Amino acid sequence: MRKKTFAAAALLAAATLTLTACGSQDSGSQSPVSMVSQEAGQRGPATVLDQPWDKPGLVLTDTHGKKYDLRKETQGHPTLLYFGYTHCPDICPTTMSNIAVAAQKSLTPAQRDDLRVVFVTTDPGRDTPAALGSWLKGIDPRFIGLTGDFKTVQAAARSVGISVEPTTKDKNGKLVSVHGTQVVAFSPKTDGGYVLIGEEATVDDYIKDLPKLIEGAKP
Amino acid sequence: MSRRPAVLATAAALAGALALAGCSKPAPAKAELSVSGSYMPQPVSADMAAGFLTITNKGGAKDELTSVTSAAAGRVTMHSTVGGAMREESSFPIPAHGRLVFKSGGNHLMFEQLRHRPKQGQTVTLKLTFAASGPLTVRMPVESATYHPSTGH
Repeated sequence: MRKKTFAAAALLAAATLTLTACGSQDSGSQSPVSMVSQEAGQRGPATVLDQPWDKPGLVLTDTHGKKYDLRKETQGHPTLLYFGYTHCPDICPTTMSNIAVAAQKSLTPAQRDDLRVVFVTTDPGRDTPAALGSWLKGIDPRFIGLTGDFKTVQAAARSVGISVEPTTKDKNGKLVSVHGTQVVAFSPKTDGGYVLIGEEATVDDYIKDLPKLIEGAKP
Repeated sequence: MSRRPAVLATAAALAGALALAGCSKPAPAKAELSVSGSYMPQPVSADMAAGFLTITNKGGAKDELTSVTSAAAGRVTMHSTVGGAMREESSFPIPAHGRLVFKSGGNHLMFEQLRHRPKQGQTVTLKLTFAASGPLTVRMPVESATYHPSTGH
């Protein structure tokens, strides 16, 4: 009888041990969780291209409803080209705001006038010249907004390695948007697109890079 | 008389076995959720704003974020970003002892039809609803349009 009691105690002890092991496993599984928010790369968000892109031969409508010829209007000017849309909550306004704030902080007024920041909408159905104009005015009234035929915009984006798709609804009626988020910087010297800037670029990154991009120098 | 200890032993063994079952299958465990690092970059207009936050689950059971609502907005939707594709999602899993992270460039909350354009320094209150846990109320500060959590400005 005594033996049986011992056996029971042993069993209980075993169960307790297993439970303890289980508990420590749980706390161990917390460590990989902290790795989720790692920053991408330490080399900075700007990439200098070996083979510069040609500036797209885009002719679209600006926020005043006038025809805007990208090559003609930006020739010889440092130019930042971005494809996005105003109904974009995250990256589009952040990228434009980062450029606006950094230009304010790192460039002279003359340099800011020289710089062309061109936002081309990938959602021309909703982004009319007026809608685009009021949105950009909230960021920097110097910025140029262009709208027009989606296929034309898509082809231009593709020519500088950026993929954009019309926003669609999946079978559950949920919206799906695909758009590349890089900014292409064109040199005032060559008019070639020679630097790609990733969406992770912060204001501080632009403050560092804009004075160089203005000169057509490598960031 | 002589049988009673045997019964006790069996009962003890059973209790041990039950405890073991509880260990391998965390069914009795509960999700313990908390929210940190929430912010909204000051939006360009009242049409649209983004929101970011982290939900930490200290509990041993998974849960699911099923909806987000705010009196400040007509609609709040949840989106994932995978390989350049932004997709509206109807729920997001929160693993046991894990986190669900909404951050710029990744998962994000999208506020539409805002009553007013939120300004830096203000707070937007939202309610998070979960599959298992009770709802959580978050007071989300509005930061500058260019705010980045890594630099804090």
